[in-house]
Amino acid sequence: MNGQGLIKGLGITFKHFFQKEITEQYPDVMPQLAPRFRGCLQFEFEKCIACGICVNSCPNNVLSFETEKDENSKKKKLLSYTIDFQHCMFCNLCAEGCPKQCIYFDHNFELSSFKREDIKMVYLRPAEMDMREEESTNGQEQQESKEQKQIDAMQKALQKNPGKVLSKILEQEEDIIILSELMQSDEKTAGKIAELMVKDKEKAAKVAAGFVNKAKKNRAKTETAGEGGDAND
Amino acid sequence: MQTDIYRVNVGPIHPSTHGGLHAEAVMDGEIIQDVIVHLGYVHRSVEKIAESRTYQQFVPYTARLDYLATNLPVLGYCQTVEKLLGIEVPERAEYIRVIMAELSRIASHQIAIAATGIDLGATTGLMYGMRDRERIMNIFEMTGGQRLLSSYIRIGGVAADIPDDFIPAVRSFVNDVPQMIDEYNGLMTGNEIWAARMQGVGILNPEDAVKYGVTGPNLRASGIAYDIRKAEPYGIYDRLDFDIPTGSRGDSLDRWTVRIEEVRQSGRIIGQALDNLPEGEIIARVPKTLKPDPGKDIYHRIESAKGELGYYIVSDGGNKPYRLHVRAPSFINLMVLPLVCRGGVFQDIITNIATLDPILGESDR
Amino acid sequence: MEALFVNLAAVLSGWLTSLGLSPIWADTVLLFVKWIIVITIITLNIIILIWLERKVSAFFQERLGPNRLGPFGIFQTIADAIKLLTKEDIVPSAADKLIFKTAPMFFIVVAVMLYTVIPMGQGMEVINLNIGLLFFISIGSLSTIALLMAGWGSNNKWSLMGAVRSVAQMVSYEIPLAFSLLGVVMISGSLNLQDIVAAQGKLWFIILQPIAFITYFIAATAELNRGPFDMPEAEQELTGGAYTEYTGMRWALFFLAEYTNLVAVSALMATVFLGGWQGPWLPSWLWIIIKTYGVILVFFWVKWTFPRIRMDHLMSFSWKVLVPVSLGNILLTGAGIYFCRWMGWC
Ligand code: SF4
Ligand code: SF4
Repeated sequence: MNGQGLIKGLGITFKHFFQKEITEQYPDVMPQLAPRFRGCLQFEFEKCIACGICVNSCPNNVLSFETEKDENSKKKKLLSYTIDFQHCMFCNLCAEGCPKQCIYFDHNFELSSFKREDIKMVYLRPAEMDMREEESTNGQEQQESKEQKQIDAMQKALQKNPGKVLSKILEQEEDIIILSELMQSDEKTAGKIAELMVKDKEKAAKVAAGFVNKAKKNRAKTETAGEGGDAND
Repeated sequence: MQTDIYRVNVGPIHPSTHGGLHAEAVMDGEIIQDVIVHLGYVHRSVEKIAESRTYQQFVPYTARLDYLATNLPVLGYCQTVEKLLGIEVPERAEYIRVIMAELSRIASHQIAIAATGIDLGATTGLMYGMRDRERIMNIFEMTGGQRLLSSYIRIGGVAADIPDDFIPAVRSFVNDVPQMIDEYNGLMTGNEIWAARMQGVGILNPEDAVKYGVTGPNLRASGIAYDIRKAEPYGIYDRLDFDIPTGSRGDSLDRWTVRIEEVRQSGRIIGQALDNLPEGEIIARVPKTLKPDPGKDIYHRIESAKGELGYYIVSDGGNKPYRLHVRAPSFINLMVLPLVCRGGVFQDIITNIATLDPILGESDR
Repeated sequence: MEALFVNLAAVLSGWLTSLGLSPIWADTVLLFVKWIIVITIITLNIIILIWLERKVSAFFQERLGPNRLGPFGIFQTIADAIKLLTKEDIVPSAADKLIFKTAPMFFIVVAVMLYTVIPMGQGMEVINLNIGLLFFISIGSLSTIALLMAGWGSNNKWSLMGAVRSVAQMVSYEIPLAFSLLGVVMISGSLNLQDIVAAQGKLWFIILQPIAFITYFIAATAELNRGPFDMPEAEQELTGGAYTEYTGMRWALFFLAEYTNLVAVSALMATVFLGGWQGPWLPSWLWIIIKTYGVILVFFWVKWTFPRIRMDHLMSFSWKVLVPVSLGNILLTGAGIYFCRWMGWC
C-alpha cells in the first residue's frame, strides 16, 4: 500500500516493454493451425454415396442434396450437393458421421466474400463422372466380349503354330521351343499368354520370359538332383 | 439542494456491457438511485430450438450459451442427457472432460480479469489476460478443431482422443498459472487505485446472495463456500483435491480475488487430472437415435464458470426433447445488479457489471 | 548550431528593417513567423507523438503497434489524419450548433497559446513574458471551458457528464498545480521562465523540490485529462465523455489539442524542474526536446499501467492529499530559504 502497488505495476509494464512481442504478423506470416483446425467445408463429389448421414446430422440445415434413382443399377445417383455455408456452425457433426470421409474441413479460414450468394457452395455432378460410369457399365460389357473373342483366336493360333506366334514375344529359338513344350502340357499357361498378348504385348513378353526361366531352372534342378542321386548311389 | 433525477442508458451499445446488456441507471447527480436491467438483446430462443433438434444436434447450440467457457455448458448438457439415458462415460473421457472443463473455466475467468481491466481503464491488464487465454485457445484448437466453440464434448464422451502435444501444452500452461496470477496481482490487484475502486463497492451480503439465488464466484465472494463440484460432485470431481476460495466482504474486490484464486485451483485440478489420466475408450457406445422413456424428466447441474448451470429436460419418448430449460447462472446473478449498485457512484455500475461477470449469451439465451 | 534559430531570427528582422519597415512592424512580422514555426512544429510533433504513444503502449502490452505504413509504421498517423479529414462531419440535430462547432477550435487555440512562453532554447521563445509561469497556468486552465462547451453543446448525457467531471476535476487540480509551482518561484524569485531556467544552472529544481515535482506531475496528469485521470473522456464509462458526439476533423482537433497540451505541459516540466534547455555538448533547443520527450514517455508509461481512478476519489485526493502536501511544501521551502539565509549559504 501507499504507492508500493503503483510502483510495482509500473515495474511490470516496464519489464514487458523490453519483452518480445507476441503479435502474429498475419497475413505476412500465416498462423500455425492445428491439424484438426476446421476452416472451410469441403466436399468430394465422386466419393459420396448419397447416404444422407451428413444431412440428417446437421443441426442447422446447412447441407442438402438431390438424388436420382438410376434405372439400371437401382442405385441412388447424386445429382447435386449444396452447402449453405452461412448457417454452418463448424460443429463437425457432418464430417464425423460421413462413412466415406468425403465431407471434411480444410484449413482455409479466409472465408469472407463480397456477395452473400458466394457463401453458398453448390457442387454439381461432374460431367466426366457420367462418362466414366457409362464406360464402366454399358461399354464395359461390349468391350469384354470383343476381347474374349480375340483371346480365343489367339489361343487357337498358339496351339496350331506356337513357333510363329511366340516369335513375336520371344527372341531365342531355344526359349520358343521350351515355351511351346510347356504350353502343350499345360493349357492354363497357354490361356494366360494368349490373354496377355491381346491386352499387353510387353507384359506378355515378360511373363513368357519368366515362364521360360522357370522351366530352365526346373530342368537344371532335376539334372543336378539326378547327379546328386548318382553320387549317393 | 433540489436536483433532478435523470436516467442514463448504459447499453445495450456501450463499451462495457459485455455484449448487449442494457442497464438503465436512475441517477441523482453522480449517485445511483436505481438500476433497471433490461434483458433480451441477445435472445436466440435456444430453449425453443432445442425442441426441434435431436439430442445430438442440440450439443453445438449449448456451446453458444456461455461462449467464453465453451466446454462447460456443453458438458452440463451432455451429462444431463447421459443421466437421462443412463449412459456410462468411459474413464478416460471423464478425465479429458475435467481437463477441458477446467481449462474453460480458466479461460472464462481470464476474460473476466481482462474485461475488468479494460472496464476500469487498465488497458494493459486486458492485453495480459487475453494473452494468457490465447494459450488455452490454442489447446482447444488442437483438440476440438476450433478456438472459441470447440465442439469437443459429445454425448457419451468426447469427440476425439487428445493429440500428442496436448499433454505438454497443458502442463506448461498449468505450470505458468502462478506466474500469470502474480502478474495480474502486481498490475491490478495490488494497485491502490484499483483497490480503491473495488473495495466496498457493490457489497452483496450473504443473506441477499442466497435470497436472490446467486451462485458461483459471486456467491463465494460473499463468504459462502458453496461449489457444486464439492456439494454434489458430478463426473470425477469427488476424486480430485481442490479448495473453494471464498471472500469475506462480498464486495467487488472479493469477487475479483475469488476469480483469480479459482484460476489457481483449476490449475491444480488440471494437474491432478493429467497425472491420473487413464488409457482406454474416449466415448461410450451411444445409439444413433436417442429415445428416452416417454414422460421422463431430469434436472442436472454443474458448476460453470459463472455459477450453477442446470438443464431440465422433459422427454416425450421421441428423439427430440419435449422441453428443455436452462438455468442460466448469469441471468440470476444479474438480478442483484440493482441491489449492489444502489447508492454508489456512476462508475460503480461499470465495476459491478465487470465483477458480476455476466455473459449475455447465457442470460438472454 | 547553438544560436542557429536565434541568428535566423536576427537575420530575418534585420532584413525586414532593411526593407524599410519600422521596427515595430518588423517585430510584428517576426512574431507572426515565429507563430507559424511553432504551429508547424506542434503539428509535426503530434504526428510523431501519436505514433509514439501507439508504439509505446503496444510495447507495454507485448504488441507491435502500427507497423505497416512506412518504416515502423510512422506514416500511420498521416493516413489516419487523412481519413479523419475526409470523414463526414456529423452535427447532431439536437446540438447547440454554435457552441458545438466552436468548442474544438477553442480547445486547440488555447492549447497552442501555451507555447507563447515556453523557452525552447537559449533566447528562444515567442514572447519573453515576465509573468510567464502565471500566464501558462491561467491559459492552461482555460481548456476546461472548451470541454464544458463541447459537453453542453452536444446535448447528450454522456457528454454533459464528461464536461461536468472535467470542470470539477480542473477546478480542484488547478490549486495543487499552482501551489506546487510556487516553491520553484520562491527559490528562483521570478515568474519569468527564462529566469527560472537560469536559476537551475547548478542544481535542477527536481532535486531541490522533489515533493513539488511529484505533486505537479500528478496535478498535471489530471489537467491533461490523461490516464489514470481521464475522467472527461472515460471511454469505458462515458463512451467518450465530452467527445461522444464529435466525428471526423472536429474530433481530431480535440485529439490534437490534447497532445498539444501534453507537449506544452511536459516542456514546462522540463523547464521548471529539469533545468530547461541547459545541458552539456548538445545545443539548447535539442536539450529541451530530449527532456520534454523524457517526461512525455513517463506520462505514457503511467497511463498504460494504471486503471482509471474514481471520480469521488479523484476529488478527495486533490483536496485531502495534494493541496495539503503542496501547501506543506511551500512552508518547507520558505523555512528552507530562511535557513539558508541564516546560515549564509545564499
Ligand atoms: S459443421 Fe455442423 S453445422 Fe456445419 S454443415 Fe457440418 S453439421 Fe452442419
Ligand atoms: S455422409 Fe458422406 S457419403 Fe453420406 S451423403 Fe453425406 S457426404 Fe455423402
